[in-house]
Amino acid sequence: MVKFILKRLGMMLIAMFMIILFTFIIMHAVPGGPFTNTKGVPEEVIAAMEEKFGLDQPYYVQFFSYLKGILHGDFGPSYKYTGQTVNEFISSGAPVSARLGGVTVIFVLIAAIPMGIWAALKNGKWQDMLLMALATIGVTIPSFVIASLLIYAFSYKLNWLPTYGLDSWQSYILPVVALGGYSISYLARLMRSSLLEVMGQDYIRTARAKGLTEFAVVTRHALRNALIPVITVLGPTIAGLLTGSFVVEKIFAIPGLGYYFVNSVSQRDYTTIMGVTIFYAAFLMAMVLLVDVFYCMIDPRIKFES
Amino acid sequence: MAELTQQNKWAPLQASDADREKIWSKSRTFAGDVWFRFRHKPTAIAGFVIIAVLILFSILGPLFTPYDYAVQNLEMVNIPPIMKVYVGPSGEYLYITQSLRIITVGKDGKVGSQLTRVREETDKSMTIFESNGKEVALYYGGSPYVVADESTGNIYPTKTLWNTSYLLGTDALGRDILTRLMYGTRISLVVAFVAALVNMIIGILYGGVSGYVGGMVDTVMMRIVDIISTIPLTLYVILIMQVMGDGIQSIIVALGSVYWVDMARVVRGQVLSLKQQEFVLAAKTIGSSPKTILLQHLIPNAMGSILVTLTMLIPSAIFMEAFLGYLGIGLQPPLASLGTMCNDASANLRTSPHELFIPALMICAIMFAFNFVGDGLRDALDPKLKK
Repeated sequence: MVKFILKRLGMMLIAMFMIILFTFIIMHAVPGGPFTNTKGVPEEVIAAMEEKFGLDQPYYVQFFSYLKGILHGDFGPSYKYTGQTVNEFISSGAPVSARLGGVTVIFVLIAAIPMGIWAALKNGKWQDMLLMALATIGVTIPSFVIASLLIYAFSYKLNWLPTYGLDSWQSYILPVVALGGYSISYLARLMRSSLLEVMGQDYIRTARAKGLTEFAVVTRHALRNALIPVITVLGPTIAGLLTGSFVVEKIFAIPGLGYYFVNSVSQRDYTTIMGVTIFYAAFLMAMVLLVDVFYCMIDPRIKFES
Repeated sequence: MAELTQQNKWAPLQASDADREKIWSKSRTFAGDVWFRFRHKPTAIAGFVIIAVLILFSILGPLFTPYDYAVQNLEMVNIPPIMKVYVGPSGEYLYITQSLRIITVGKDGKVGSQLTRVREETDKSMTIFESNGKEVALYYGGSPYVVADESTGNIYPTKTLWNTSYLLGTDALGRDILTRLMYGTRISLVVAFVAALVNMIIGILYGGVSGYVGGMVDTVMMRIVDIISTIPLTLYVILIMQVMGDGIQSIIVALGSVYWVDMARVVRGQVLSLKQQEFVLAAKTIGSSPKTILLQHLIPNAMGSILVTLTMLIPSAIFMEAFLGYLGIGLQPPLASLGTMCNDASANLRTSPHELFIPALMICAIMFAFNFVGDGLRDALDPKLKK
């Protein structure tokens, strides 16, 4: 167990290093420096600014000082907003994204798992067909289309719900549905096929043969094993939801991590792009590792070496 | 009964050797087999037909449209496909634009020209226009705006008409949406196909080499794949786009260089199991080079799984392209993809919903079609995978 976790941690560190290196290379390959477009400023001032940010140093020196900064939890200053640091963006954006994401995760779990179970138990009947048709629609429609439809219907036409922000409980409804739509459909489909497979196993027949009620068969025997594949994909799903979605945060003007990322991309604020990318990647990987460990703990059939 | 017992049912029937060897039913090729299973799935056929129609629409469509995707007509801004018109004093149809001008509309729904403005009656919240020598007033004091007779204040009767000049209306810069839809679909499909193809080639070569060479090389190559798959790739597509700048080539390179990991894994798995088989040994015995064995023997045998993975790659490429377009990353205006059309329209969602929902509907249609074809193809190519 410890060996498995250490091995995964090692892999994670290598991956993190590669991500930082790759991000650094990409951002320095962009033509032009951060002060290229600054107009009406003498050469000497630009040179002084570059010196201040260490941009006159060779690339490898810049890289290692950046790496050192990250290890100390410092993502450096923003190039576009004077006096602001990337850390400030992350610390103001991440909690907002996490709040929206947390509500979405709960909503997704409450909706998707019962949906999948119900569809599997009604296999082939109209309820199953209806749910799976809905789930197919959910995985094929992009979230910005769902979000626009919801805004148009519930905010503009019916005037029930606000179109932006996260101030009241009503303002959570639309972003949560738009953000969770894909995950609900995906998890419900997975839950259904996994439960169907488990229901065909011999031990289910044994459980039925010894006279258990159908309810006990499903909840005590089938569900435990059927949830395993769902838990596998839950890690990346939760991480993705918690760190927010670029599109949903952009549409609903929610000042989360994704909103800052999209903003910094259009502003070409390179340090912010790098910082948010690295933070996002680290969070995602940590989440996946956490779920993998949990996964090995609940399923004794999985060997840690593999 | 008596007859039956008389006949010895155990006596061998007469059969010549030629008969015995004859195959009575026509043997089906692999492709024929796949086609047989594919065409028995109505959703797959429907998806296939939709894709074919959309390809024709995007290639041939521009030949039949009088408009250009880039030319702006600021007199004809945000006109919907179904117009509410007022019947003017001499029976002509008048449509109020969002910029508070009046456009004449023909009886057949053809959009005419703007009326000339005579004067402004600010105290009555009216703008007076001249129509066929008579004066009509546009009253903008209430909502909705109406066309009325200035002196009596009578509102002219209304009528709903299909817009036959611009079948799907115009966008915020007065460009024909139908024409832009054709070009947008074309760009989205080209990006998706080429990016998926690039992914396929990289994935086949990477996975093929990794699986065939094996040993240490395989371990190192697969560790690299493991690391890449832990990286959130959406971010990398956006980062690469930052370096490459806008344009179709950049999107294709960005999408093509990132999503080959699954393909590489699939090909490696196939090659690993296939290289143990006798035909590879036979090829080695006659002195084929590893390159020949890999490209001529192993890859063609793995084509089934490769195609299935490919059909899943295309919709995800379309998804990513639409996503990037919607974030405003990717194409330089006036070029349009379905995603950028949605992005341009999102500002006018309240007043002109058709501008967003038409390209959005197109994206959904493409996604459905490719998903259906992908599912059908997976079941047809590899019935074992069917659940």
